Amino acid sequence: MIHIENLSRRFGERPAVDRLSLDVSAGEIVGLLGPNGAGKTTTIRMLAGMIAPSSGAASVGGLDPSTQPERVHEVIGLLTESPGFYERMTARENLAYFARFYEGIDVSGAVGRSLDRMGLSDRGGDRVGTFSRGMKQRLALARALLHRPRILFLDEPTAGLDPEAARDLRRFIVGLSAEDRTVLLCTHNLTEAEEICERVAIFRTRLIAFETPSALREARFRPAVRVRLAGDATGLVASLRDLPFVRAVEPGPEEGGLTVRLDDVDRDRPGLVARIVELGGDVLEVAEERKTLEDVYLDLVREEE
Amino acid sequence: MTARRILNVVRKEWRLMARSPSNLLFVLVVPLLLVGQALLLTWIVPRFLAVGVPDSSTIAPGLPDADRLRVLLLDQFRFFVLLIPAMVANVFATLSIVEEKITGTLEPLLATPVRTWELLLGKILSGAIPALVVAWASAGLFMALAVASGWGPLLRWVVGPSWYLAIFLLTPAISTLSFVFGVIGSSRAGDAKGAQNLAVVVVLPLFALIAVQVTGLVHFTPLLTLLLSLGIAALDALMLRVAVRLFARESILVRWR
Repeated sequence: MIHIENLSRRFGERPAVDRLSLDVSAGEIVGLLGPNGAGKTTTIRMLAGMIAPSSGAASVGGLDPSTQPERVHEVIGLLTESPGFYERMTARENLAYFARFYEGIDVSGAVGRSLDRMGLSDRGGDRVGTFSRGMKQRLALARALLHRPRILFLDEPTAGLDPEAARDLRRFIVGLSAEDRTVLLCTHNLTEAEEICERVAIFRTRLIAFETPSALREARFRPAVRVRLAGDATGLVASLRDLPFVRAVEPGPEEGGLTVRLDDVDRDRPGLVARIVELGGDVLEVAEERKTLEDVYLDLVREEE
Repeated sequence: MTARRILNVVRKEWRLMARSPSNLLFVLVVPLLLVGQALLLTWIVPRFLAVGVPDSSTIAPGLPDADRLRVLLLDQFRFFVLLIPAMVANVFATLSIVEEKITGTLEPLLATPVRTWELLLGKILSGAIPALVVAWASAGLFMALAVASGWGPLLRWVVGPSWYLAIFLLTPAISTLSFVFGVIGSSRAGDAKGAQNLAVVVVLPLFALIAVQVTGLVHFTPLLTLLLSLGIAALDALMLRVAVRLFARESILVRWR
């Protein structure tokens, strides 16, 4: 549904996006992750046909955003970082205004459906200036969905929302994928990305990694267990390293603790505990180390620096 | 579809304008001030001036000097009225794009299939049409008050082909030009003040036009008024094309924070 090949954009001498290549399938939710200034918004703007690439090519729903921007605008919905509404106009008037730019759309039907979908029907007649940040964000999503686009670009959709509103919005985005809509999501919220994205593209001007969150975790971090002992654990480190299924042993992170990297946590954990007991260790707790997408992201970005 | 999009922009702008009392007040007060000033000058100047219109002048021959002077002053209004759209444009057109940048509505707007020229023409018409209506209403009010002041008989020297051409051809052309310049200023500037500074360029030639007429350097015959109106109408079309070219979506999005 979205095909990007060596897409680059420079602002003067500074590269904002450097030879980005990736493919997004229909109905997939893909997260674009990267620090501020990594080029996420620039990428979305290039795909939306709003700014031109310096080099490379892209195809969005089979259309070229550089040469067919207006046709691309017919098939995409864009949620910008700032909701952006005419505050002296009502929610319904705002949506109707944007809906009238699309060809062949039943304006009042589309507005009513979108408001209803985002739970804003009862506030449709109120001026947007009276809306909370969360309501404006929902209204912005309603605007992006007015013309039933097949592809959605969402830039920080849950930024500034309270936890409940953010959760509701995340559920809604997952629901969009179930309708076979393709979603490209820019976010700084890595927990959110892990929860709703099927694949994530981590990039800092250039692409660093593009995989499913679990594949990234597995590729980056060998499975490990954390063992907490009564007393000093450093004396056991050398002996444990000799075990055939142990890949690495480090003291810590807390006092009396060990972090042991194994080939297979479930298979090797009993043997590890037995060996520690045999060596005289007094085991208080054994827990699997859970690496998150955030750990992967920070590790990759630091390495890139 | 194009007409629907342009009309959509116009309707939205009018809706926002109607919901801003300060904007409405400005649109009403500025023309009233200009009408009042023109009438006051017509009333007061002949009372203080001993010198009348030179005998060689073609203005209202046969009338007393004070009335000839009044005719001369009443005749200037057709040029003063041009200041109304220019001044209204300086406030509204200059805000048209800048305000969209400030409120964050420009990016979602540019993500719709609207074309740049449709958007800009909608913005221009939404301001130029009311400015024109206000200018015509001001001209009507001016005439009514002139008659009420007892200068009705003098109007036959004022209202003629030149007057009609100025009001019904030159004024719309100037009104459109004012808004085109305002929108160009708005799309290029970083804030409202910068946009207004750029748009003021259209007011300066108008002052020059008034000065040329008042000093008698050029007499605006019907033919000259017609040519001037057509010239400015052609300039309107040219400047709209320039406005579309200058409306760089990319730099507006990238540079604006």
